[in-house]
Amino acid sequence: MSQLNRLPQGGRIDRSRKLSFTFNGKSYEGHAGDTLASALLANGVDIVNRSFKYSRPRGIVAAGAEEPNAVVQLGATEAAQVPNVRATQQALYEGLEARSTNGWPNVQRDLMSLVGKLGGKFMPPGFYYKTFMAPASLWMTYEKYIRKSAGLGRSPMERDPDIYDHLHQHCDVLVIGAGPAGLAAALAAARSGARVILADEQEEMGGSLLDSRELLDDRPAEQWVAQVLETLAGMDNVTLLPRTTANGYHDHNFVTLHERRTEHLADTAPRKDGRRQVRARMHRVRAGRVVLATGAHERPLVYAGNDVPGNLLAGAVSTYIRRYGVVPGQKLVLSTSNDHAYRAALDWHEAGREVVAIADARANPDGELVERARARGIRIITGSAVIEAKGESRVSGARVATIDAEGFRVTGQAETLACDTIASSGGYSPVIHLASHTGGRPTWRDDLLGFVPTLVKGVSAAGGAQGVYATAEVLADGVETGSRAASEAGFAAAPVSLPQVAVRRDGAAVALYQVPHEKPTLRAPKQFVDLQNDVTAAGIELATREGFESIEHVKRYTAMGFGTDQGKLGNINGMAIAARCLGRSIPEVGTTVFRPNYTPVTFGAIVGRHCRELFDPERYTAMHQWHVEHGAEFEDVGQWKRPWYFPKTVNGKTETMHEAVARECLAVREAVGILDASTLGKIDIQGPDAREFLGRVYTNKWAKLAPGRVRYGLMCKDDGMVFDDGTTSCLGENHFLMTTTTGGAATVLEWLEIWHQTEWPELEVYFNSVTDHWATMTITGPEARKLLAEVTDMDLDRESFKFMDWREGVVAGVPARVFRISFTGELAFEINVQANYALHVWETLFAHGEKYGLTPYGTETMHVLRAEKGFIIAGQDTDGSVTPEDLGMQWAIGYDKPFPWIGKRALSRPDTARTDRKQLVGLKPKDPKVVLEEGAQIVFDPHHAIPMPMVGHVTSSYYSPTLDSGFALAVVKGGQQKMGETVYLPMADGQVHEAEIVSPIFVDPKGERQNV
Amino acid sequence: MSNTAAEKVRTFDTRTQAKIAVESPLAYSYRRSGAPAPTAKSRVVLRERPFLGHLVLRGGAIVLDEAVREVLGVSLPGEPQGLVQDAEGVRSVQWLSPDEWLLIVPGGEEFELENRLRAALDDAHFAISNVSGGQTLVELEGEAARELLMKSVIYDVHPSHFPVGKGVTTVFAKATVILRRPAEERWELVVRRSFADYTYRWLLDAGEEYAIGVAR
Repeated sequence: MSQLNRLPQGGRIDRSRKLSFTFNGKSYEGHAGDTLASALLANGVDIVNRSFKYSRPRGIVAAGAEEPNAVVQLGATEAAQVPNVRATQQALYEGLEARSTNGWPNVQRDLMSLVGKLGGKFMPPGFYYKTFMAPASLWMTYEKYIRKSAGLGRSPMERDPDIYDHLHQHCDVLVIGAGPAGLAAALAAARSGARVILADEQEEMGGSLLDSRELLDDRPAEQWVAQVLETLAGMDNVTLLPRTTANGYHDHNFVTLHERRTEHLADTAPRKDGRRQVRARMHRVRAGRVVLATGAHERPLVYAGNDVPGNLLAGAVSTYIRRYGVVPGQKLVLSTSNDHAYRAALDWHEAGREVVAIADARANPDGELVERARARGIRIITGSAVIEAKGESRVSGARVATIDAEGFRVTGQAETLACDTIASSGGYSPVIHLASHTGGRPTWRDDLLGFVPTLVKGVSAAGGAQGVYATAEVLADGVETGSRAASEAGFAAAPVSLPQVAVRRDGAAVALYQVPHEKPTLRAPKQFVDLQNDVTAAGIELATREGFESIEHVKRYTAMGFGTDQGKLGNINGMAIAARCLGRSIPEVGTTVFRPNYTPVTFGAIVGRHCRELFDPERYTAMHQWHVEHGAEFEDVGQWKRPWYFPKTVNGKTETMHEAVARECLAVREAVGILDASTLGKIDIQGPDAREFLGRVYTNKWAKLAPGRVRYGLMCKDDGMVFDDGTTSCLGENHFLMTTTTGGAATVLEWLEIWHQTEWPELEVYFNSVTDHWATMTITGPEARKLLAEVTDMDLDRESFKFMDWREGVVAGVPARVFRISFTGELAFEINVQANYALHVWETLFAHGEKYGLTPYGTETMHVLRAEKGFIIAGQDTDGSVTPEDLGMQWAIGYDKPFPWIGKRALSRPDTARTDRKQLVGLKPKDPKVVLEEGAQIVFDPHHAIPMPMVGHVTSSYYSPTLDSGFALAVVKGGQQKMGETVYLPMADGQVHEAEIVSPIFVDPKGERQNV
Repeated sequence: MSNTAAEKVRTFDTRTQAKIAVESPLAYSYRRSGAPAPTAKSRVVLRERPFLGHLVLRGGAIVLDEAVREVLGVSLPGEPQGLVQDAEGVRSVQWLSPDEWLLIVPGGEEFELENRLRAALDDAHFAISNVSGGQTLVELEGEAARELLMKSVIYDVHPSHFPVGKGVTTVFAKATVILRRPAEERWELVVRRSFADYTYRWLLDAGEEYAIGVAR
């Protein structure tokens, strides 16, 4: 198909490279350097979408990020689908496939438009609130219907083939936007020696200079751009990031930049040198100073029918002609309130197409550009505006009439001019979105007819972003702002020479937002304010009539500036209309808050490489590979991967978890098992006050623990609630080794440091984590001693190496510390060796262990075995509301210690002294086959009317192969005084389990087995 | 037991001279994820320096400095975030926090070093913990090393902010590492054993773009 709107020459496209692409299934051709939008316009594609609410045909309006209509779905394959792509920002590549996001069955012939035509009645503002409030149960149905018919693109249903990553950047000056202001600012800052990042969202840097009519040093502006970019590229202290959008401006000058690295090449990233490359990269920038050189967005005028395809922004017309060599029509009518928009008419005229007329809202326009238009014989109708566009799928005419802008009325007879394109300009709005992210409410300036950003510390704006528009002034402002930013960051300003730019005499602009119509707004043809969200001037007027006075409420009621659009085109016009309706000024009405992200960011870029196998660290012990090779199932404990159980496969049949755990439990009770306990936290404590310190952080006594001995310790927070436990060994008079729970290791170390540093700095003691240095393997069971004896010459005699002793020796040729502590209730030796030797020791134990039935066991078996003994797990049987007394662990409380340990005072509060607190007990289900559910609620009276008073819950529950019965630990109100009583556990399915309150120690209550 | 502080602390040589299999923290990772050999295209090369002696030294700077100078012949770093090396560049002292330093020495020297430091420090208040089995040293070299680090750590690694002789503890992806720059072209990561595999896999993945090689 021919590119009927492509000019024979001109533009920055590469005419030697043709690219074919499809839009809504139809093939077209464009050139390298085109955006999807410029290529569609070149091919005369008028309708690119159907509108969100009314399903009206829509065409391309803008040439940049502010485009409201040409939001397309990109991707040739299911996996490559990307929603929310603005055709104006998408570079064309060979084979690009895009579709409209709205329109069914297609944008040309849309069934929904039937509804849309009735739409004014069907979907007034506040539509969702009014129509779908009742019955509430139907909302789900409504929502589905609305989503399907409206639609804003869709997510891919297949796995993303691409990868994304993050780069942490730091700089002295971050310049956002590489138009004239940004380039000048970057150059000035860079010359001073500061580290500069210059980011720009477009395919090419240069901004407005890429389609400017002005000469810089008597040469086309683009030549100056090329020269500056070359200079910047040659400087070591400058990072240039094209195709990179600053999407979020967060606290402390932390700015997220979204760099699209391959989206201009293909819909999935091509390989580079045979390797994967990232499709998009998130630069997480910590900047010393930020310069916002984000320019301005042109405001369209709001007139009847202003959404018919063929209505464009005046500046966009110039951009398409000058940058892409595309004239988006044959006959142009321009409606403007200012001089700058005359560029569109001049460019159109120079392209050899007809300018029907310029409707200028001012009575006596007289600027240089106006005179140039007059000189070419272009008809200028003063004091007037386009009040209505005619046409349905394309503009066919413009009704122009004289207006009284201030009085908001049409004063003359309308004249209908035949045309296919209407360009409009109501002035310019500085792009204040990023400044708004920092919380600064923008300030209205009457002289500029726009909001300028209110800036927090560390950020400045240059050029159009703060309402400086004349090129010479923009360049000077850029240099000044860039220099100032660099000097604030500590760099001495260096001179920058600026190009000569002829000063243009521009006439004053006039305030015009909504153009009056002969009919009142509510009865005139639709005048659109927010094209993306289908918000009309009438909708805003209705909202104000219905009592919505705050602009934030008007926004929510009408959906103006919602979603991905973030009010780029329509917000100021909407505020102006609301202000007029409310009889207030624009600054009185104020503006809504713009939020991140400025334009949509793909989820992949947010996630970066923190996904799948790299989602979260997996911490491994030194024996991890052995566990993997021996078929372990793993359990996550914090970030650790711990073996959960080791299912065996016999004759092709793999054990269930229940079978494996029963086997492992019996092996420990009857022979010997081995557990990888390396994950327990280990803290090396040294210093003359180490013992005193322990006495203060543990509930129990440490004064008399002799070197060579080990003691169990319980730690409370200052509220008296148990938060961690473990054993601590006395290594020397001033030297202890503390163990913590696996999950509590870091927290406990921090806890010790906090108390030491803030409360007791006078105590001479230091703490160091040695968790990773030691690997720990527990061999436990009646045969443990015999097994250990085979690989060590240590004296393992029960008299010389007692329960709760530790000894040094050599195990399997490796220096080891061996601790006789037991978490199973059986004879146990915890062997600690330097982790680099651990696998050797572990394997040596297995080499000798077969004849004793050495069985590896995991955390599940460990849980069953410890629960049989009534040993708690902090964090499972406790939840931050359980005191040592609630646990029945008075034996571990040193009530008479001279120094009041942490939590002691809290235990004398009336609440902690209550006798009906929830206390730890054992539960024996009446039916031994029942394994109670952990978390199940306990009641005393199952016949009590609902709501039943709940008196506790199950904290741990397992099947015990030793008891051949289910059993549980639980907390029950006053439970310690209720031994032998029956409690009930009503379940969600209606069953009620019965259980007897028993001692939490189910196996070997006298503790004889661990002492053998 | 005698009355001096040094003897009230139970030192223990966890290293053995026996000829047995010994595994660095990355041993499993090499088997599981492989170790692509460096090629001419490799813009960054990773090399583990396993089995070194790692000691964490805690105490007051003035007394420790004297002892370290006497025993090791180098001073403690004069400033926070400092890293100093001995003349041969094989022994280093790094500031970790106001009362905490990391000593890294050739493997096998650490126990004797600990004992000599304890003797030199006598009854001063200090602590020395041997963590040699708990961490490993990973070197990164090559023109892309800095960019690879930018993908991984939040800390600013620009030469103006991270000169040779600096070391910090920082966030690495979702873990923590000690990052140091002993030479113009060389960066070192001190990685905790249990996080070593995650760190290694992260570096291989992030380094793919630079054709990362693993020297062994």
